[in-house]
Amino acid sequence: MKRRETSLFWRLVLRVALVLCGGATLLSAAAWYYARAAADDAYDRLLLGAAIQITANMTVDAGNLGVTLPSSAFELLGLAERDRIFYRVVGPDGRTLTGYDDLDIGINVTAARAGPVFLTTEYRNVPVRVAVVSRALSDPSFSGWAYVVMAQTTEARRGLAGELTTRAMILVGIMSLLALAGTVLAIRYSLLPVDALAATLRARDPQDLTPVEADMPRELKPFVGSINHFMGRLDERVTLLQRFIADAAHQIRTPLTALSAQVDMLEDDDLDVNRKRHLGRVRDRVSQLARLTNQLLSHAMVIHRSDSVRFKPVDLGDIARKAFRSTVPITVDPDVVVSFEDSAEPVFVRGDAVSLREAIANIIDNALQHGVEQRLAVRVRREDDRALVEVADDGPGIPPAEWAAVTTRFVSSKMGEGSMGLGFAIAAEVALAHRGTVRFLEKGGRDFTVILDVPLYREGT
Amino acid sequence: MWRQLRPIALVAVLGFASPAGAVEGTRAFFPALEAERGRLVINGATDIEAMEPLIRDFQETARDVAIDYTDYVTNDLYRDADIACRLKQPFGDLLLSSSVDQLVKLANDGCALAHVSPETRDVPAWANWRDEVFGFTFEPSVMVYHKDFVPPEDVPHTHGELTDLLRFKPDYYRGRIGTYDLRQSGIGYLLAFLDAQQASTTYGRLLESLSRAEAVLRCCNNAVLSELDSGNVYIGYNILGSYAYAAARRNGKLRIVLPRDYTLILSRGALVPTGAKRPELAGRFLDYLLSERGQDVAREKAFFFSRSGALPAEVDGPEKLVESGIGRPIRIGPALLAAQDRLQRSRFIDDWTKLIVDTPVRLRPN
Repeated sequence: MKRRETSLFWRLVLRVALVLCGGATLLSAAAWYYARAAADDAYDRLLLGAAIQITANMTVDAGNLGVTLPSSAFELLGLAERDRIFYRVVGPDGRTLTGYDDLDIGINVTAARAGPVFLTTEYRNVPVRVAVVSRALSDPSFSGWAYVVMAQTTEARRGLAGELTTRAMILVGIMSLLALAGTVLAIRYSLLPVDALAATLRARDPQDLTPVEADMPRELKPFVGSINHFMGRLDERVTLLQRFIADAAHQIRTPLTALSAQVDMLEDDDLDVNRKRHLGRVRDRVSQLARLTNQLLSHAMVIHRSDSVRFKPVDLGDIARKAFRSTVPITVDPDVVVSFEDSAEPVFVRGDAVSLREAIANIIDNALQHGVEQRLAVRVRREDDRALVEVADDGPGIPPAEWAAVTTRFVSSKMGEGSMGLGFAIAAEVALAHRGTVRFLEKGGRDFTVILDVPLYREGT
Repeated sequence: MWRQLRPIALVAVLGFASPAGAVEGTRAFFPALEAERGRLVINGATDIEAMEPLIRDFQETARDVAIDYTDYVTNDLYRDADIACRLKQPFGDLLLSSSVDQLVKLANDGCALAHVSPETRDVPAWANWRDEVFGFTFEPSVMVYHKDFVPPEDVPHTHGELTDLLRFKPDYYRGRIGTYDLRQSGIGYLLAFLDAQQASTTYGRLLESLSRAEAVLRCCNNAVLSELDSGNVYIGYNILGSYAYAAARRNGKLRIVLPRDYTLILSRGALVPTGAKRPELAGRFLDYLLSERGQDVAREKAFFFSRSGALPAEVDGPEKLVESGIGRPIRIGPALLAAQDRLQRSRFIDDWTKLIVDTPVRLRPN
């Protein structure tokens, strides 16, 4: 199951859409209600008008109540074109004078004496709207109340109400869509600074732990503040730690040098074979320790420099040559063939010459210490927009499974037989600070090769 | 009076020739042109002679349909349809009647099925109510006279002129004016009721003149027309143009006048009753009646007048009947319910009967 990524944008849009949907539903219901009321009101007037016309045409003639049904009354109702009309005229004695006798539907006609009565009911299985209108007859021979019950089916009312509701709903729908679109735009606009902040943070140099300076809306200030506060503390801790390591390495170096001198001074001529072997091991370990201490100092320096030194264009070929010279000792085994091959043209990168030299030196040193049997080649070349320093040796190399691990501190490919130390870690650190990588080429048709790969410097970048 | 007339109506329905000759009330069967796969039962208040061309042409388009047509008097048709509707019994698949107010009443009482098709959409609004009652003809109500007995200077062109003619020459025209008997004919009642509404004063005077002239009352159009044909009656009033034109084609001495003050125009109605067994067949026939083809056949062979076309030859009437405002189409709609109110109807007919039928001759003013 894929977990949905939560997003501020979608959260806001979803909630606004829900509110708008709810609002639209409510408004539509209200529109329907009002439309029905309006349609009823409009058609009730027709119904009332027709009923009144009929009451007006009641006449008392020789003690008999008569009524003429004016066509105009029916024409009036006929304005609701498709609706059927039912009516009943009731005399004072409660007898039906004319019309539909069964249009009784439980109406108490006397209620209409005070004024017209409207009701909605069913007649002959169809919904009808009914109006009851009364008329007081005050003929001396014939007095009492007469009533006209006028009923009309509700097709036109429902049609009108439906039409009004539909139109209102279309308007509500359009409004809701506009509101939603507006909200989407507004949210997108409001969230722009968040993206900008993220971009700023992403674009930062990994070593840069200085406070984030960006123009942020008020709402994001606490967030940026927290980030800055955290970075400040982290910076302090890191600085403290680096200083401690550098101090510790420095402190160790002095007694270590003394120790090394003392060990060198030990005469081994009069020792038996067994002790001689022990002394040899002590010498090895001491030199290993010295190298490690140097590397620690070098690491601290590299980190310190990447924090504090401004990068500038430097010639990688030049740096690699210097590193090569300083690293390969004059006393190197004469059986080993070492070579340095510079690029035909300068290979400029943007970086710190000291750190880069340190990195290359560490890679070469590593090859000398752990790899070389008969051949060591250092090459500087450019490939597209990359600058490459390749260090190849004919040693056994490092199996691919361990490539990722060796660039981490204190991991050796040959466990137990002397740590590889910080060499690759320093090189990787420097490469990272220069937006490059340390890569490996497997031993195969060619020698095992370690490559420091950093982007070429270009004018204006 | 009504009770006494019933047996005559029954005899007519049974198919006997009535004394008046070719009257409404007969049954005709039109077998299918091919193997019968459906039978459409039409109950109409329209002459078989008028319907026959339409039915036969319809069968050309629906060769497997047989048609059983029964011709009624309008009032009988309404009564039977009303009873059938109340009892929820079948009474034909399609009702045709010139008395559209009765069809409107039936539809209002919920006795009609709606029918919607491309053809019904083209029917003008005044000839369609609720998609249940459709007017499919265009029939002006006209005056017919016999050329041999009515001199040219006497020919009435308006309702007023007819009234005056009867006033000025009472003796000559006594017993020579023919019109509907409102008690028997639904269409007669409807036309008279609408006359009274169109021009109540003119109508009152006309009624009085008709009374004085001892008008000849007949149940139906064709009965009046056959009296005209035989020369017993000189002028027929409120005759449907279609029947009048058919009669005039048979007898060249009969002439038709469309009144120039106003001419009521009836659109014969059709309705599919709720109890119809084959409503889809009824719908097909209805669509045919409303279609261009059906309308053409109706104009040429059955009803002779049409909404759009000019007046038929030799008919005396205004050029543009409807546009001039003289032709007044009877709108098929709820307004006709006023005509069908039982109190209204009985009083209107009572008044009419009192004036035309019951007034002893000696009491009639001269």
